[in-house]
Amino acid sequence: MILGLETSCDETAAALVTADGEVRANVVASQAELHARYGGVVPEVASRRHLELVAPVVERALADAGAGLADVDAVAVTRGPGLIGALLVGLSAAKTLAWSRRLPLVPVDHLHGHVASLFLEPGSVEPPFLCLLATGGHTLLLDVQDRAGYRVVGTTLDDAAGEAFDKGARLLGLGYPGGAAIDRLARAGDPEAFSLPVARVPGFDFSFSGLKTALVYAVRALEAGELERRRADLAASYQRAIVRALVGRTRAAAEALGAQKVAVVGGVASNSELRESLADAELAPLALCTDNAAMIASAARFATAIPFPDYLALDAYASAA
Amino acid sequence: MTILAFDTATDVATVAVVRDGEVLAERRSRAIRILHEIESALAEAGVERGAVERLAVGTGPGSYTGLRMGLITARTLAFALGVPAAGVSTLDALAAGSPGATPVIDARRGEIFTLQDGQPSVLAPEDLPVVPGSLYVGDGAVRYRGVLEDRGGTVPGEESEAHVPWARHHAALAADFGSAERLEPLYLRVPDAEVAVQEGRLRI
Ligand SMILES: [Zn+2]
Repeated sequence: MILGLETSCDETAAALVTADGEVRANVVASQAELHARYGGVVPEVASRRHLELVAPVVERALADAGAGLADVDAVAVTRGPGLIGALLVGLSAAKTLAWSRRLPLVPVDHLHGHVASLFLEPGSVEPPFLCLLATGGHTLLLDVQDRAGYRVVGTTLDDAAGEAFDKGARLLGLGYPGGAAIDRLARAGDPEAFSLPVARVPGFDFSFSGLKTALVYAVRALEAGELERRRADLAASYQRAIVRALVGRTRAAAEALGAQKVAVVGGVASNSELRESLADAELAPLALCTDNAAMIASAARFATAIPFPDYLALDAYASAA
Repeated sequence: MTILAFDTATDVATVAVVRDGEVLAERRSRAIRILHEIESALAEAGVERGAVERLAVGTGPGSYTGLRMGLITARTLAFALGVPAAGVSTLDALAAGSPGATPVIDARRGEIFTLQDGQPSVLAPEDLPVVPGSLYVGDGAVRYRGVLEDRGGTVPGEESEAHVPWARHHAALAADFGSAERLEPLYLRVPDAEVAVQEGRLRI
């Protein structure tokens, strides 16, 4: 079994996955509530919490799987990209666990991890496919030819889609995290009530900063007291604009690249309107959309393992190469 | 009793393997290499990792990132090896290396960590009551040498071993071994964002 660890942002996660991609345990301790009081993830606060949570989360995962450290054949861990201080907590723990038992360590790219959420059983997705990866930190279109990696064909020029949801939620007074709050409120609103344009950029890239500005103006144009009444319409219109941009670019790229299959992963893949709009695509299971360690252990099955003890001085990286 | 001790709270991380008070191996490195140094120190001491009976770890204060690396390593090691652990303040370890000296650790942002009436605290170097003729050790003492010496304090040369929180002292000072989960880092400062919330500067 592979023991996976993930601490790149505000979830402390551990999972046990078999070589065949079967999930034996998948424990995620979310810090979302902790960060809500700051209106977003605070790196120092996240790092402090990871330190407290890693060992209990690992112990819980082993207990859920009915396993002990002796049953672990390799330790997988997110090496980056992410918050460097947060990554170092998980990486240090993973190195120490691997070293204690002379196991190999598999450093995993967090984005590869999101893609690999599609390689878990049941229902593993066979490459090749075009993958939309949309999270709070990234919005990418990836050409996935095999399970070991991907090629970036499009990215966001400014905000990530998840970030756009968070900023929109803040403007509408919905708090943090914003994606789920907008999704919920949007169901009661009219998505055509407001025209919120999304900037058209060349190639297969995305841009969401203009959309946020459009929402600022739409909110400002409302009379006092009217915001409360139109909040659901604004949420629905804003969500419609983001989803339209994501779906449009994904379909265009799939056609241009001749991709037979389209897949969607990452936290934004849990958005209900996006799931309905791309119902014909391979959608990451809801439980595996937001950050988790099962996807990290899954990616490790197709990544290069570093044998004991060559990983002892391994460092984390904050941004994608 | 074989104790594995280490401290990664300051720029110079240290590791020691101590058996019944005898230092079998002691090394210094950067914090990120701590596990590598533990491996080397155990090899040098001729001690198998399974023969380690106790862990002693520096709980700071110091660099938050370095401090966390030491504590997560200790917590995970304690779990994986099934051994009890104890925390030792990095200030106490520094002081133990130079009896009579005041430990001073660089706290960044123009501040220092030191012991005041035996309690770890954070303050501006200018606010440290300097006793003329007395000794000040640690990377904070090196950094603020001018401030301390101007008021009659003595700071050993930059290369002096007195500025290093050698892990042999953590092994010697460690008491109350127990579950590693209880080991708390000495941050001594709340995160900036928390300060902002409390002062009402951060509006959500
Ligand atoms: Zn992610």
